[in-house]
This record gives sequence, structure tokens and C-alpha cells, in this order.
Amino acid sequence: MKLRPPIGRRIINGIVSGLAAASAMLGLLALAWIFLGVLSRGVGALNVDFFTRLPNPPGIPGGGLANAIVGTLAMTGLATLLAVPVGMMAGVFLSEFGQKSRLADHSRFAANVLMGMPSIIIGVFVYAILVLPRGKFSGYAGALSLGIIMLPVVARTAEDMLRLLPNTLREAGLALGAPTWKVTLAILFRAAKPGLLTGILLAVARVSGETAPLLFTALNSPYWESSLAGPTPNLTVTIFNFAMSPYPDWQQMAWGASLLITCGVLALNLTARFFLGEKHS
Amino acid sequence: MADLALPETPAKTQTWRQGDVIFRWLSRGCAFVVPALIGGIFLALLIYSLPAIKKFGVGFLVSPEWNPVTQEFGAASSIFGTVVSTLIAMLLAVPLSLAIAFFLVELAPPAVSRVVGTLIELLAAIPSIIFGMWGLFVFAPFLQAHVQPWLASTLGFLPLFQGPPMGIGIMSAGIILAFMILPFICAIARDVFLLVPRTIRESAFGMGATTWEVMYKVMIPYGLVGLIGAVFLGLGRALGETMAITFVIGNSHRISASLFAAGNSIASTLANEFAEATEPMYVSSLIALGLVLFLITYLVQILAQVLLRRLYRSWSAGL
Amino acid sequence: MKTTTMAFPYPVALDQSLALETAVPAAYAAAPVGAKIIARQVNFFYGEHQALFENDLEIHRNKVTAIIGPSGCGKSTHIRIYNRIYELYGEQRATGEVLLDGENILDSAMDLMELRRRVGMIFQKPTPFPMSVFENVAFGLKLHYRLSKGEMADRVEEALSKAALWDEVKDILRQPGTALSGGQQQRLCIARALAVEPEVLLMDEPTSAIDPIATAKIEELINSLKSKYTIIIVTHNMQQAARVSDFTAFFYQGRIVEFGDTQKIFTNPSNKKTEEYITGRFG
Repeated sequence: MKLRPPIGRRIINGIVSGLAAASAMLGLLALAWIFLGVLSRGVGALNVDFFTRLPNPPGIPGGGLANAIVGTLAMTGLATLLAVPVGMMAGVFLSEFGQKSRLADHSRFAANVLMGMPSIIIGVFVYAILVLPRGKFSGYAGALSLGIIMLPVVARTAEDMLRLLPNTLREAGLALGAPTWKVTLAILFRAAKPGLLTGILLAVARVSGETAPLLFTALNSPYWESSLAGPTPNLTVTIFNFAMSPYPDWQQMAWGASLLITCGVLALNLTARFFLGEKHS
Repeated sequence: MADLALPETPAKTQTWRQGDVIFRWLSRGCAFVVPALIGGIFLALLIYSLPAIKKFGVGFLVSPEWNPVTQEFGAASSIFGTVVSTLIAMLLAVPLSLAIAFFLVELAPPAVSRVVGTLIELLAAIPSIIFGMWGLFVFAPFLQAHVQPWLASTLGFLPLFQGPPMGIGIMSAGIILAFMILPFICAIARDVFLLVPRTIRESAFGMGATTWEVMYKVMIPYGLVGLIGAVFLGLGRALGETMAITFVIGNSHRISASLFAAGNSIASTLANEFAEATEPMYVSSLIALGLVLFLITYLVQILAQVLLRRLYRSWSAGL
Repeated sequence: MKTTTMAFPYPVALDQSLALETAVPAAYAAAPVGAKIIARQVNFFYGEHQALFENDLEIHRNKVTAIIGPSGCGKSTHIRIYNRIYELYGEQRATGEVLLDGENILDSAMDLMELRRRVGMIFQKPTPFPMSVFENVAFGLKLHYRLSKGEMADRVEEALSKAALWDEVKDILRQPGTALSGGQQQRLCIARALAVEPEVLLMDEPTSAIDPIATAKIEELINSLKSKYTIIIVTHNMQQAARVSDFTAFFYQGRIVEFGDTQKIFTNPSNKKTEEYITGRFG
């Protein structure tokens, strides 16, 4: 039998490995390019005014996006309040009661589908059920669409984290005579706390950067709004509007807002990973 | 130590039983919300797009018309843009993702693998609109100045690379999309490779195979189902991406053979025009576009789920 | 053909022709006063698969009963019937009767939570809850009793003392239960079970995951506890069974092959299979 020359195989291995390493570098390059790009263009816009003042009309320098910051925080917070309890309970059902249940199968599948649904479709949905009938845009509608986006993430995370817990923990609680709800809330949630918190943090990070679902629900506003019942200022739609505008100072503000969101999202992500990683080791 | 006298056990058990019943029903209800939402979204889209469907029929899907003045609408240009930009993204992202996964699993030392892996995953965390900003103000001008002229001069005989290089357009949309879906496909591919049983890898290496040969001849075939699932997942994301595309695709309802040309996708059309649409037929046509996107995404998701489920089931059966 | 009957607390060889019609009524007429739990004709199923066959067993009050047998013979399955913990899993079910002080615990009218207060369980792997040492022991107390803060603290101390753990943890009560060593964690679980004043303690291979020194401590603990509690211990360690128990039941393939005085079982078993197992011929 003739031997295939080993040198040929080694060369191929070397080339492919080199390409693989180069691909990894390319990925990192993209990350660096984007982050540095946002950083360099946005840092100039982040001053005290940015965090405290309202946006000025175009052409007048200064001003800030304080109202948009508050609006984003408010809607994200409300979305979290909606999605976390419902999502956790859904996760409890999928993990604790849903072994043989058809509802559990459908729900799990639907959660995966919902997670892959374009966020703009969810925005159109909330527009159709909340904005169109009432004839007005609102921060509540915006928060609802963000909440719908968060829901399946929280539910699947909760299910996965609860499933990881050993059955003996459940048995030990039940063996003392505790009812199922008490075992779940007092023991299981506490035991899965790091994973659950991580999941929630990641979900919050994801929706805080979302624009499309807010485009036709919360719209945007250049003023301080006292409630969420009407158009609500927010960072992401502001970036969209300002970036597409022909005014340089507005574009500069858009960069500032972009930097703020990027840093916030990355910080949440790294915190969540660090938190979970610590518990794992 | 003296035994303390035990107080009477209070009759808590009735309230506890009720508590458990309530708990079960509450969690069942919350689990029901999820599929209910999917159904609700479908119904809402269907109902509001009925006027457009009635007026244009199935021809809506293939008509290249998009004229708010004459109220003639068709989905062809949006579907075309969606498909082409997604295709470019997949052609770029899939090989890159597999290469990076190969690097992370086989080539890099554990510390490097962890750091690089985390950084690649951070790419997934960057919001779409940031990609859009960067794409419009940084990347597209870069393409216009350095890449597209070169492509035009070397490959300009192909209709793909003809026309004036504008930076923004289908090409930059596709490339940026590739970077957005790369971390998702890469993460799943990495999981797939890590799931290959150690004994199988060791047998392959033990027979004198090179690292690449083990990946190519053993690990990829072993995990093929999962890899295809990963590809479908990436596909689903690419189809639905909105803000990044909206910024750089150029927003034009033309169908052109050139990659340099502007175009639009279903999502970008919705993002750009929904707020200005006042006439009911305009709105209905836009929502019909949304319905098309919903159905495409749903189908792709189902395929991805089925494939990934088979992967995980075969692993647990084989272990 | 000779067979043994479980009707007496020691194996009696009977001629099959005599049958159980005479033996059983006689045994129950003589109703041994020391029976805390009586299992009668208990069968157990995992879905379609039957794991226990016609188990008849008597557990004596304030004594330690060891349950031995090769892996998969049904020992754990059997004692898990005594607190109905198997009901966590939908496809598992038991038939027959299990009388705790005369009441059938398999009856659906039985109050599960009260049953589990009276019959405590210690698992093979220590299962401290994700809370402090104090809260671990107080968990069961808070479930079943209404106590003031002072009473709670007293009862926690008492339970920890009974589990021979008080001295080691009295200064670290607020630390998480998971911070203790394996042997300490297991004693914490015992304290947790003792706090609610059970009558029976089920121990499913309680020392198999623990080092020998901690094991010795727990065996000592079992010895000191048996005057107040009825203890059933599943173990694959025959030396442990011989050291610790008063009575031993030998299980094989889901059936109880022999039951009797521990001394007798280990020195002069009546059944050939028992002898083979004890001498290490299999299992």
C-alpha cells in the first residue's frame, strides 16, 4: 500500500488551523472596531448636560437626553416587572409539573419560537392590540412589547436552572412535610438564585437596546413626560431619529446615546457572566 | 438536656393543600401565556392584513410594485432584499463560525479559548441599532472608499459588482448581518463539538489523524444535525434583523442585480414606513408584509427546533 | 416444600401445606406489642415494571431495623413507601397496606404532611438547604408549629444537640449549611429531621457518601437515638448492619427473603440465599 505523504496532510492542517485562528481574529477585530468606533465618536457627547437636560432644537448646541434616559429606564423596569413573575411561574410549570404534559411541550416550543421572532413583529402586534384601538401611542405599550420579548427568555432560563437542581433537594423538602409551593419558593428558587439572576440580567440587557418594538408603540418625545400614558422618550428611538437627521449636533447626541447603551449592555452582560461563573467554580 | 413539651400541631394542612392547587393553576396559566402570544400575534397580523390580501391576492408576494401614491403594493422587492442580504450573511457567517468554533475547541489553549469565546459572545450582546450606527457612519464609508472600487475594477464584469459604489446597500447590509449572526452560530457549533464523546475523539487522534482531519472527518459528521440546526437558528435571526439593516440597506424598493445597489428588507420597510402610513390600504399592506415575515420566521424556527431536538435526543440515547 | 413466613419476628420454617391460614391469624392474634409499622402484601410498580413483590414486614418500636441486599433489590424503594415520597413521581405506585400504629398510610385519606412529620427521612447524599445552619433546622419547625423566636432558638439548639452537632456549630449558626463538612452536613440533616419530633427515622444509606470517622459518629448517634425513635436503615455495608441494628431484613429481587434478629441473621441464617449474600458469594 502506498502511504499518503504525511507532509501534505500536515500542510493542510497548518493552513486550515491558520485560517481558523485568522477567523477568530477577524471576529475580535470586528468587536474592537465597533466598540472603539462608538467610544471615540460618543465620548465627546457625554457631559453633565447630556444626563440632565432636554434635547435642544437643531442648530442650538448643548442640551441632553435626560428624558430619554429616564424613559428607557422606566419602560425597561416596567417590562421587567411584567415579564419576570409570569416567566418564572411558566418556568416552574415547565420544570416541576410539566414532565408528561402536552401544555408543557407546546409552551416550551412556543417559547423557543417567540425568542426567535423579529422584535418588529412584536411591535406591530402590540400596535394592533393596544395603540390602534385606543388611538394613542404610549409607554405602556412600549413596556408591554419589551416584556413580551423578555418573557420566553426568563421562562426558559428558569426552567433550565430549576432542572439542574438535584431531585434529592425536592425530596428532602417534601420529606419534612412541606407543600410543593413552599419547596419551590423557599428552597428551589434560593438554590437556583445565581442562575436565575443571570438569566434576568441578560434578558434586561437584551431589551434595553431594542428599538424596533418601540417604534410604533412608545414612539418618542422631546419633552419630560409625567406618565407612561402617552408617547414616551427613550434612547433607542432617539438614536434612530437623530442619526437619520441632517443635523451634526443631533448626530453627535446619537453617538453619545449609542455609547451609553453599549456600555450599559456590555456591563450587564459581563456582570451576569462573572456572577454565574463565580458560582460555577 | 430536658425535653421541651411540644405544642399542639396547628391544622395547617387544609390551607396548604389549597395553596398547592392554586400554585399549580397559576403556573399552568403562566405557561399558557406563551403559546397564546404566538397565536395572538398570528391572529392580529392576519386580521389587519386581510384588506390587502383581499385586494392583491397571492400576487402580492411577487409584485414588485410599491407605490403609496397609487396604493399599489407588492412584497417582491422587500422579500428579495431580505433573501439576498440573508444569503450573503449566511455565506459569510457559517464558514467563519465553524472556523472560530474549531479554533476555540481544538486549537486554542483553555484560557485563550475562554477569553476569546466570551468576547465573541459579547458581539451577540451589541444591540442592533449600534450595528446600524456603526454600519452607516463607519463601515459603509469604509466599503465605499476601499473595498467596492477594488471589487468593481477586478470583478466588475459580473453584474453583481456593477453600478456606482455607494457604500450603503445590499452588500454592506449582508456583511454587517454576517457579524451579527456569527456569535449565535458559533456558540451552538462550539456546544456541538464539545458534545462529541471524548472516546471518539481520542480514537481518531489515536489513529494518527491531524487536528483538522479529526474535525472534518469525525466531529462535523457526528454533529451534523446540530450544526444544521445552528445554521437554521442563525438564518432565523438574520431574517428578522431590523435596525442594522434599516440604517444601511438604502431603503429603495428596486430590485437590482448589483450588490452595490440599495434595496430594502421586509423589516426595514416596516421600520421606515409604518409611522408615516396613514391610508388603511397602506397600513394593511405593511402588516401583510409583517405576516409574511412572521410565517417565514415561524417555519425556519420549526425546522431549527426539530433538528436541534433530534441532536440532543440522539446524544442522550447514545450516552 | 418448606418456606418461611414473615408473620413472626423471627423466621419460622413452615410446611407449605400448613399454609398461611393458620400461621397468619395466629401471629396477629399474638399481635407483637412492639410493632410500629406493619407492611402487608406491599407491591410496588415503576410504570409497568414491578419492583416489589408481596412484601410483608414488621418494624419494631424503638429498635433499629437494617435492610440489606444486593444493588437493585428494592431496599430503598421499600422504605420510600413509608413516607410516600415516591408520589413525587407520577408513574410510581404502591399497593397493599402499610400500618403505622394501626393506621394505613397508603390510604388516600391519610394526611401526607402529618405523615411526613412523623416519619422523617435522611438521604444518601447530605441535602442541606441553601440557607444558614439555623434556618435549615428551623425549616421544618416553621412548617408545622407556631413558635416564638425564643422557643424556635431553643428547639433548634435541642435538635442540634440530639444530632451531636451543637458543639460544632453553635458559633456558626448563621453560616450557610453548605459550608459544613460532609459528615456535619449529614448530621445537620438528621437534626433537621429530629426538630419536628418524628416517631420514625428512615435512613437511606446515610453514611455511604461520608468518610469513616464521620460514619462512626453517625453510627454512635443512631445508637443513642433508638431509645426514643424507631429507626430503619438501608445499608449495603453488612458490617454496619451488624454493628448498628437489632433486626435485619434481607431483600432479594424485590422480595423479603429473610427477616429476624440481627445476631441470628449474621451468624446462622435460615435461608440459603441469605447465607450466600452474607458470605459475599454475590452482591
